[in-house]
Amino acid sequence: MAAFQILRRDLLRYLRNPGRTAFLLAIPLMMAAIFALVFGGHGDGGGITIRVLLWDEDDSLLGRLLQGAEDRPESEGRLEVVPVGPEGVEMMNRGDASALVHLPKGFTRAVIDGTPTAIEVVKNPAQQFLPLVVEEGVVLGATVLSAGSRALRPELDVISSFLDADDHPEDAAVASLSASFNRRARQFDLYVFPPVVTLEAVDVGAAQDEEASAKKPQGIAAVLSVFLPGFAILGVLFLAQSATRDMLHDRETGVVRQLLTAPVTPASYLVGKCLSVLVVSAAGLGLLVAAGVAAGVAWGPPLAVATVVVAAAVAASGTLLLVMSVVGSERQGDALATIVIMSWCMLGGAFVPLAQMPAFLHPIAKTTLVYWATSAFSSLIAGGGIADILPNLAVLAGGGALGIAIGAVVMERRLARGAL
Amino acid sequence: MITVERLRRSFGDLVAVDDVSFEVRDGEILGLLGPNGAGKTTTLCMISGVLKPDSGRVLVDGRDIWLEPTVVKRHLGVVPQEVAVYEDLTARDNLSFWGSLYGLSGSELKERVDEGLTRVGLADRAGDRVKSFSGGMKRRLNLCMGLLHRPRFLLLDEPTVGIDPQARLNILEVIRGVAAGGTTVLYTTHYMEEAQELCDRIAIIDHGRILTVGTLDELTRLAGEAEVLRLTGGFAGGEARDRLQAIAGVRVLQAGDGSAMLSVAAGGPGLLAVLPAVLASGLALDDVSIQRPNLQSVFISLTGRELRD
Repeated sequence: MAAFQILRRDLLRYLRNPGRTAFLLAIPLMMAAIFALVFGGHGDGGGITIRVLLWDEDDSLLGRLLQGAEDRPESEGRLEVVPVGPEGVEMMNRGDASALVHLPKGFTRAVIDGTPTAIEVVKNPAQQFLPLVVEEGVVLGATVLSAGSRALRPELDVISSFLDADDHPEDAAVASLSASFNRRARQFDLYVFPPVVTLEAVDVGAAQDEEASAKKPQGIAAVLSVFLPGFAILGVLFLAQSATRDMLHDRETGVVRQLLTAPVTPASYLVGKCLSVLVVSAAGLGLLVAAGVAAGVAWGPPLAVATVVVAAAVAASGTLLLVMSVVGSERQGDALATIVIMSWCMLGGAFVPLAQMPAFLHPIAKTTLVYWATSAFSSLIAGGGIADILPNLAVLAGGGALGIAIGAVVMERRLARGAL
Repeated sequence: MITVERLRRSFGDLVAVDDVSFEVRDGEILGLLGPNGAGKTTTLCMISGVLKPDSGRVLVDGRDIWLEPTVVKRHLGVVPQEVAVYEDLTARDNLSFWGSLYGLSGSELKERVDEGLTRVGLADRAGDRVKSFSGGMKRRLNLCMGLLHRPRFLLLDEPTVGIDPQARLNILEVIRGVAAGGTTVLYTTHYMEEAQELCDRIAIIDHGRILTVGTLDELTRLAGEAEVLRLTGGFAGGEARDRLQAIAGVRVLQAGDGSAMLSVAAGGPGLLAVLPAVLASGLALDDVSIQRPNLQSVFISLTGRELRD
């Protein structure tokens, strides 16, 4: 009974001080939002756009093809080709684009004549990957042009002679050239079609049907789906730290001593405090999940998500209760808890997805409850169900319960001998 | 009745309470008087069931508090020295929570809270957060928490330390009122005047031991019919003590730091005869005062030190 009165009082204190709780919950939300803005584009849902400056001094066919690529459906919103003149160099100096593609005057004629020529690509050193994408694209184009120039040499020589002639070519010569192209195309047909190797791109974890694909979060929501689970766990650990630190505060302000003069046993006091840590942690994590839903994160089946929320709250409570049971003061508790929380979040994949971490850290990550909580959320977000996260739930609930039990026993002993 | 039997408690090598025994009789106010560090709070913590003694026992109405803690604690009201309230809650929130621990609820709890707040003069601040309260107001709220469940036994640990005179008067008045209603009170203090004003009997404690217990009259008689002379002047060093000790009929209670206290026994040379003897011993005398027997002189006669030490 006393335990529930203590729980009730603690919840009342949270209600009377909403600012403190809101601040603790705002930290992970802010961090996840910053990550989403940094890695998720500009909030327009368009993702990453490659901006290419095209300085085509030759008004070439290749230049027009490049500009046309911008309008292709697969490039929509991802490629922006800006026609420029010499001022493009200055724009690159200002970092206005990922790369500048320069086609020199006489480029087309050189390709037709089979004489050496070059495409110049100026890359933006401030960007890591996007200029490389442009470079690879231009290399591919140059390779195709070179191969075409050699394979169609006789026909291109005829075209070259047409270009050098003062008069229009004879109809018969044009017809002959057309027939020659047609024959060459049929020959290529034998080698090119049907292709021996085709490319099929599949997103990992993507649903098979288009309806499910359409439901996948885009833009910032997609990035939040990656980062918010980890930051939510960070947030719930800080909440649990705040709630368990209250026990040390109670001791230092004499509240524990006064409570024990009432018909309150050390065990009922600890049960009350553990309940309040659990309720606060679960409610806080629930709010963070709800904030994610509002931002477009699809967490997965609600029941499974709720189960993870409760299990993660148990894990966070157990972890922090254990930490606080071994320290002597509030300041010591804060220092040790912060070290544990930050190192667990680093190692457990709360900040960086486990796949991005060195292989030797993977086994270490699995020793942290943060890993099991984060991976449970990630699994549900990727389309998994409760059956896929049963091991996670077992580790979280079991580890948390063990932490609560050990922490409570240590604290009760300290209470009994007057050390708490 | 509260019966304290041979309580002992040590912290490492330090013996904080050593073989302490006394009784608090039904309806009386017993003062536990002693300087800081004498063992008052440790004794009170053991009586209230917060700190387990190394040996000895505490009986409240014949029940051992360590064997039947929940039953006994229902009848105890404890007001600790530390102000143990939640500052982020209102006065009413704090009291409601405390009352609920004793099983109070609903309209009864509300009535008790209102009554308690009125009694300690905080009714108009019931809805304010405690962090906006002065030290004296917090102490009054602390006292109110100890009284909310109308305990039969009230234990107070220096409830007037560090507060203004008005708040102190209010607290003492409330305690007198509670005692007049039949509540048995154990009151620890290091303020001699409070013990004299408030308590029916006084137990003097020093270095973890009870030196004596009795009414004010009984204790002052302990100091004998002697009167105490307080002298100011050149009384530094051991030589001054030796010279004073050599005067017939005089007991040196304390000497040094430019002052001395002498106990002059009834039937001895008399006060007027002592002063010429002091001057004749070659000691410089700047000021003289006569102190009637009181708790201070009792404490000095028992410990050789003033209570403020």
